[in-house]
Amino acid sequence: MKKLNKTLAAFSMIGGLVAGSQTLAEPFKVGVCYDLSKAYTFATPQVSQAAMDLAKLVNMKGGIGGEPVEVIVRDHGNEPQRGIECYSKLSREGVFVFDTLSTPVSLAVLPRAMADGRVLMQSLVGRGDAVDGTVFDWVYPIGPTYWGQAANDVAYIKQLHDGDMSDVKVGFVYFDYPFGQEPIEILQTLSEKEGFELDLYPVPLPGSDQAGVWSKVRRDKPDHLIVWMLGGAHVVASKEMQRNRISMEKYISVNWLNEVDIANIGKEAAIGLKRGTNVVGGPDVALRQEIMTEIYEKGQGSGPLEKTEDVFYNTGLAMYSIVFEAARKAVELEGLPITATSYKAGLETLKDYDANGLMAPITVTPDDHGGGGKTRIEMWDGEAWVPQTDWIAEYTDVVWDVVRESSSKYEQ
Amino acid sequence: MFYRLSGVHHANYVSDSRIFKVPADRNLAIFIFLFGLAAPFLLPSLYLNSYMLPWLIWTAAALGLNLVTGWAGQLHLGYAAVMAVGAYSAIHAARFGVPWEFALIIGGLASSVIGSLFAFAALRVKGLYLALTTLAMQFVMDWVLTHSPAISGGSHASLQSPTLALLGQDITSDTGYYYVAFGWCVLVTIFMLNLKRTGLGRALVAVREKDFAAAILGVNSFYYKILAFAASSFIAGVSGALLVATFFFLAAPEQFSVAVSIQVLAMVIVGGLGSIIGSYLGVALILLVPGLVNGIVAGGSQSLGMQINVETLAHIPNAVYGALIVIILLIEPLGLGKLYGNIRDYLMVWPFDQLRK
Repeated sequence: MKKLNKTLAAFSMIGGLVAGSQTLAEPFKVGVCYDLSKAYTFATPQVSQAAMDLAKLVNMKGGIGGEPVEVIVRDHGNEPQRGIECYSKLSREGVFVFDTLSTPVSLAVLPRAMADGRVLMQSLVGRGDAVDGTVFDWVYPIGPTYWGQAANDVAYIKQLHDGDMSDVKVGFVYFDYPFGQEPIEILQTLSEKEGFELDLYPVPLPGSDQAGVWSKVRRDKPDHLIVWMLGGAHVVASKEMQRNRISMEKYISVNWLNEVDIANIGKEAAIGLKRGTNVVGGPDVALRQEIMTEIYEKGQGSGPLEKTEDVFYNTGLAMYSIVFEAARKAVELEGLPITATSYKAGLETLKDYDANGLMAPITVTPDDHGGGGKTRIEMWDGEAWVPQTDWIAEYTDVVWDVVRESSSKYEQ
Repeated sequence: MFYRLSGVHHANYVSDSRIFKVPADRNLAIFIFLFGLAAPFLLPSLYLNSYMLPWLIWTAAALGLNLVTGWAGQLHLGYAAVMAVGAYSAIHAARFGVPWEFALIIGGLASSVIGSLFAFAALRVKGLYLALTTLAMQFVMDWVLTHSPAISGGSHASLQSPTLALLGQDITSDTGYYYVAFGWCVLVTIFMLNLKRTGLGRALVAVREKDFAAAILGVNSFYYKILAFAASSFIAGVSGALLVATFFFLAAPEQFSVAVSIQVLAMVIVGGLGSIIGSYLGVALILLVPGLVNGIVAGGSQSLGMQINVETLAHIPNAVYGALIVIILLIEPLGLGKLYGNIRDYLMVWPFDQLRK
């Protein structure tokens, strides 16, 4: 009997919570279901802080079409079922724009978002073939796919060798699981097409032991290294490279390399290191400056100041500039209130949008949900990141072949 | 006073082999069963498909692990890998055009075969050594999944599950999914309830307590260990397949990673080894409490108008949840199931036990 009463009490409490949460006002809400406590914490605090700061800025300027915006940040601990819980809960509260910034959770939420008609933003994570808008109606991985990013890295190397890659040797160092394996196919295709030699160097997770990998790299002497690793693994790699006398200039990282990693490698030791990116790094971008004067100098920042100096803060600003810009477009197109359909239409009218010089210009169309996939290569000069290329998106035909081949499997 | 009997005493063999030794337990089980049947009409759909459904499927899975760990006493750290085998085989079978009823059984059987391989390890090594061997199996499975696109599907090793259909009926509604999960969980629960009073159950317990002593009594520990692993793997396989078919809709290696294996083991240990109601409670604690605490902390800080950093906000529930596990295991090392038993036993003799003091 005691058990019964307890159960009843628990359920009535749950019922109360539900009833309470359904009486909110009508701002434009974005569901930010992030992993703030487990695997993705190298980036999520900065990105979510940027999202909240940007929402404050937008609200200070009168919101979107006169309505306020709200970002609802929740932790899902990188567990698919908690991500689904977050998604289900918020979508019943009327949220129709979601972002998970976690590949496992994005994968798990995707079938539901597709069935329910909710917009799933999944910049930089999740399945890359979702850029194919003809298959993935409701998914917008705006920004580069890993395939596109790797292809752009190859294009950069080709530039360095004046267009002739026949005697170039490229090493690909990657985490040996889907995140790192993804670019292999495209690199192999490009290696055949351009005639460069490709060597693969899988790194076992979690990347804390790379001794064997780098002594093999030393023997093989590749001219360039494209590196698909995260966080601390970059630091381990840099140590092994010093030990094996491999120049840092060969290192071209995926976009997941930030100022914290640079500080851990050592500002001097990292000179020459390169990374592909779709946002401008460093604290000097116009939007961040505006946030500084409008919010942080008034003491209203959503988090510590030093986090805003990180490149992932800029990444967050870029992601949410797109989210809010699309809402603005939606209001222009179909007026208030914004609905999932009008928001989708808003997203698909974004043309050469670069958030005032913050990121690679994007153009979203009903077919291309990736926005063009432009990136550039930046080099660390000891103090700041120096761009080495323009915003480029090369070998798009090859990339789209891979995208379509993969996305066609989803429909089966 | 609260129960009509003052302790559990058996006067004959029939009463000893009853499923429920205390009538109130049976009434509670009936009440929970009826509540489960009526849940789609009582609960909002959010609670139905984000809490109840995963709870039931994970409970079925945890009961399977309880069979091998709680009853047969074999520590198993590769349970999620066995679930993955079931999930992937069933989905591949269903994609190939096999009806779901058979696809689920194929998933279960495939798991049984792979899971029985663990049993061969269990015959050679025991305790912590077995734990490490099964952990190694988990890593092997992870590696196979991430390195063979033919098994794991296309982009990011994710495999789309076809629409679930049982008995010629397409299942697409929240209620439908829920009843499938409920049905499976009830089946597993009935099996486990009956296991206790069969020769098989007693043999497993004998093997758990001391396998060579069991051998002296004429219990073939080789046979029963394999049987335990095969049966529990079958449950794992079908549960894994149903988890994907009714909840994730898409299988990915992360859903069956080593972290998940440890989580299921935690469910069983916190719930109580060899306890059925304990498995239900343990799953609720490990699976649902983090999300609930998260919601309560977030809601609480919002309504109190506190400006807490989102990161701190994400870590408080983790700390609370961790503390909860520690406190529960300190109060009752035998888990939540035993805690329930303690409360029941106390109430059964109250207030007469007070006279003795």
